[in-house]
Amino acid sequence: MEVESFLFNIVILSMFVNMAIALYGIFTRPSLIKKIISLTIFSDTVNTLAIVVGFRHAIPNPIPPVVVEIPPSSQYLRLFVSRAVDPLPQALVLTAIVIGLAVVLFLMFTTLQIYRIYGTTDVRKVSKLRG
Amino acid sequence: MSSTLRNIVVIVTLTLMVVGLAVVLTVGGFGFSLPPHNVRALATIFLNTTLNLDANYRYVSAMSPEAVTAIVWDYRGLDTLFETSVMFIAIVGALAISRGATEKLLKTSPPVLGMSLITKTITRITIVMILAVGASIALHGHLTPGGGFQGGATIAVVPMLLIIIFSIYLFSKMITIYKAVTLRSVGLIGIALSSFIVLIIAALYGGSAYIFQNQPKLHSHYGLPSYAEPILLGGTLLFFNVFETLAVAFGFAALFILFTIPEDAVKSAIMGEE
Repeated sequence: MEVESFLFNIVILSMFVNMAIALYGIFTRPSLIKKIISLTIFSDTVNTLAIVVGFRHAIPNPIPPVVVEIPPSSQYLRLFVSRAVDPLPQALVLTAIVIGLAVVLFLMFTTLQIYRIYGTTDVRKVSKLRG
Repeated sequence: MSSTLRNIVVIVTLTLMVVGLAVVLTVGGFGFSLPPHNVRALATIFLNTTLNLDANYRYVSAMSPEAVTAIVWDYRGLDTLFETSVMFIAIVGALAISRGATEKLLKTSPPVLGMSLITKTITRITIVMILAVGASIALHGHLTPGGGFQGGATIAVVPMLLIIIFSIYLFSKMITIYKAVTLRSVGLIGIALSSFIVLIIAALYGGSAYIFQNQPKLHSHYGLPSYAEPILLGGTLLFFNVFETLAVAFGFAALFILFTIPEDAVKSAIMGEE
């Protein structure tokens, strides 16, 4: 249990570092394309973090939230509830992926249009343009 | 000079963020130590009622062995419908930006394009397999992990392959962007109508029901058949998954067309009128 907990904390810490790197890309890279790539890395990291938070420790192993015995006996359901991982973060992440897709899509089309009209995706040059 | 200073400030801030989050994790600020032994009380309720034939739980159960599908299409209901329409609005925005370019694309008819004969033959074979896998993921959405969105995203690989291998000109003759958007709207309308099925049944029998009701609830004893002795039918979940697949697959098809319109066609559409 101690080893498992230690490894889990390392995974979570590496996700925090990954978030920081992605935010660094969003803040400092001048290219809009690189900003969008950093944004997708950031959202994927946060989604993975949500999935990990829904994980649980079960003996001998946790199982996915899918009932496999049909019809389920009450004994099986008790075992299922005591071992299955949390389905709620998974459902929320499914939503987050769809919404994130729509956001990335909108940003990509805007960037494409900026490139077509101004011939550059560098924010330093775009911000200096007039008209 | 000022950009170096700004860089240092950003790096220091982000390092502090990581250290702060790590401290919060260490002192148990998230409310648990990892990995937690128990799931939250809400998750226990969901797991207990996702498929439960017991008389006490029969009227709160979603009758789907897959808990994620049960949450997305039954417990959460309308939220999922609006979430699906977010992507639709993004597509409408993209259409508005590149207006007029697709008509120009259809008028031009270049000579034979696309990759070699080997690639085309292999693609013809794999497309059938991809469609079969996508349909399997989508139609078993109420039984196994997967569902409408996952199946639709798998099927969306097919238009991508067709565009890359057989060229955008051929693909936009098969499915124009307006046809794709119309079929996506059909999927969305299908989702909206499926949510009213139980209400219509209840109205015919003179009872009352909820929108997005999948199974009989406490004060409305109507619902689509969900369990015929050895087989789980899933009630309205099956309809939702099928229409969601349609919506997502054709939404992606429309997007791929929009993204792969040749630059000169778009440029002439944007700049041409001036």
